[in-house]
Amino acid sequence: MATHNLKQDIFEHLSQGGFICSNSSKPHLQRLYSYIEEHFDELATYFAQINFLLTQGDEYFYFTRQEQRADINRKLEAAFRWIDIVDFFKSYDSSFGSGYRFEPQEISVQLKVNATLKSKLKALRKYTQTDNELDGIKKLVERLRSDGFVELENEISDSYKVLASFSYLEKLILNINLTEEVRNEIPE
Amino acid sequence: MYAFHSIKELLNALVLGKELLSEMFGKRKSFDYRYDQAMELMGENRVHALIEKGVIVKNGRFLEIDDQLLGFFEQILDVNEEINISLIEEHLTRLKENIDYYLSEDSEYRKYKYLKIVKTSLRKVGLICLRNIVDLNRNIDDAFKTEPNYKIKIKKLENYDQRRVDIKQLIQLAGQLITEDERTFFATAKDEELNRITTELRIQLQESRHNLIETEKQIIDFLNQVKYQSKVSEKIRRVKYLKDQFELENKSDIVQQLRSLNLLSFEKRPVFPVKLGLDILQDDAIYEIIKKLNRKNRNAAKQKVPLAGTIEEGFMNDISEDAVFVDLEKMKNNFSASGYHLLEFVIHYAYPKDVGFEEMVMYYCQLISLYESEFRFTDEFIEHNGTEFSVVYPQ
Repeated sequence: MATHNLKQDIFEHLSQGGFICSNSSKPHLQRLYSYIEEHFDELATYFAQINFLLTQGDEYFYFTRQEQRADINRKLEAAFRWIDIVDFFKSYDSSFGSGYRFEPQEISVQLKVNATLKSKLKALRKYTQTDNELDGIKKLVERLRSDGFVELENEISDSYKVLASFSYLEKLILNINLTEEVRNEIPE
Repeated sequence: MYAFHSIKELLNALVLGKELLSEMFGKRKSFDYRYDQAMELMGENRVHALIEKGVIVKNGRFLEIDDQLLGFFEQILDVNEEINISLIEEHLTRLKENIDYYLSEDSEYRKYKYLKIVKTSLRKVGLICLRNIVDLNRNIDDAFKTEPNYKIKIKKLENYDQRRVDIKQLIQLAGQLITEDERTFFATAKDEELNRITTELRIQLQESRHNLIETEKQIIDFLNQVKYQSKVSEKIRRVKYLKDQFELENKSDIVQQLRSLNLLSFEKRPVFPVKLGLDILQDDAIYEIIKKLNRKNRNAAKQKVPLAGTIEEGFMNDISEDAVFVDLEKMKNNFSASGYHLLEFVIHYAYPKDVGFEEMVMYYCQLISLYESEFRFTDEFIEHNGTEFSVVYPQ
C-alpha cells in the first residue's frame, strides 16, 4: 500500500477523536500502528503542519491540539461520562482493562447476582435511555466503542476486546488529585 | 496406619481399591467423596477392607485417601500443588552426610553403598528443583488469574516471591556443594556414572536458575499489574463517589487537569465537506454518475398517493325525510284565478303548514320575482303591519 494511503487512513482514524492501538485485532489497524511506530517523527511533523499533534500513549497513538478548542463544560461532561462508565465496568471486574475480553451477555448475567452493579446500571439511565438491562449494557459498550476504547472482536459471539487506549482513561482518573480532607471523608 | 508386611501386600491393597482410588484422586479438589458413594462403586466389603488397611480414611460421612499415599501419588504423577522446599534441603543434608560417611569409610563395599545413596540424592535434587519451579510458576499464574480478592492476591504473590528466593538459595547451595564444598569427594570417587550425574545436575541447576529469572520477572510484572489495578479501582471508587455527590469539581483539580488536556475526543466530531470541482462536473462520465444518483434519489423518495378517508358506514343507506313545502307554481295558479291583489291572497292563502308574517312576506317576494312577467303592477301601495306593499294583480 502506498505511504500516502496509510497517512490518509491514520488521519481519518485519529481526526475523529479515535485511537490507534497496538492490541487491536484488526490487521489494518495493527499495520497502521506499526507504521506510526516506525515513522513517528516524520508523521508528527507532517500532522503538526495541519495543527494536529500526534501523541504517543502507552501502546496507543492519538491526536491532541496545541491550544484549547473545546470549552471546559464539554470536557467535564465527557470526563464525567467516562468516570461513570469506567466505574461501572470496573465494578463488574476490577481487572477490566487493556486486553480484557468480554461479552455484554456475561455482564447482564452478572447483574442478576450483583445488586450493586444493577443499581449502578440503573443510575446510568441518562446514557442508556432504556430499562432493559442487556440493551443498557450494550449502549454503554457502544459508547466505549465509538470513543475508541474497545472494539468488537467477534461479531457472531458479540465479544469485545478492551484496547490499549483504555489506559488513557485509567490514567486520566489516576491523575485527578483529591484534596486531603476528602480522602478521609470518603467511606471505605 | 496399618503396617504392611511387604511391598507386595501394599500393591495388592492398592490394586484392590484401584477404581475407587483413581476416582477419589481425580476428584480430590472438587468435592468430598461420600462414604455411600464409595459403597455403590465398590461394595461394602472392599471399602471396609481398604479402610482397615488405612489406604482410605473415614472421616464422618466422607472418605479421604490417606495423606501419605496422596502425597506419594501427587509426587509420582507430578501434580504436586505445594512447593516443597524442605525436600531439597533434606536431600542436600543427606548428601552431605553420606559424602562424609563415604570419605571416612574404608571398606570398599560400604563405600559403594554410600556412593549409591549420594548418586540417588544428586539425581533427585535437580529433578525436585525443576519440578518446584514448574509448580511455583503454575501457582503464581493461578493466584494472579483466579484470586478475586486483591489483598490476598498481593499477599499470595509476595509469598511466592519468597519461595522463589528460597529455591534460588537452595540451587546456589547445591551448586556450591558439587563445585566447591566437596571437591575431595568428587575428585576421589572416580565413577563414570557419578560424573554423568553431576554434569546433568549442573545443567539442571543452570536451567533452574534461568527459569527462576523468568519467574522473578513474571512475579514483578504480576505484582505491578495487581497493584496498578487495585490503585485504579480504589481511585475510580473515590472519584465516582465525589462525582455522585456533585463535589468533584470543587474538591479535586479535575478542571485544571482537563484544561491541560486537549484531546480530540473532547471536540465535536469534525466533518470535512468537500465541494465538487466545476471541471469535473463537465465530464461526461460524471454526468452519467449524477444521472444515476438522481435516479436513485427519485426512487428513494416515493410519492405517496393521497388517500381519501374512509366512507362512513351508513353513508350509502337510504334515508327518507319528510318536509312540508309550499308549491309556488300552484300558489301562482290559484292567485291568477282568485281576483284578489297579491298581498291579500298571500295572507288568506290556505297554506299546508303554519306560516308566520315573515314567511308570508317571503312568499310574496318569491312570487313576484319568479313570475314577474305574469303579474300586473299598479302604482298603489297598501300598508300592512307597518310595511308598505305594492298592489299586484294577475294579468
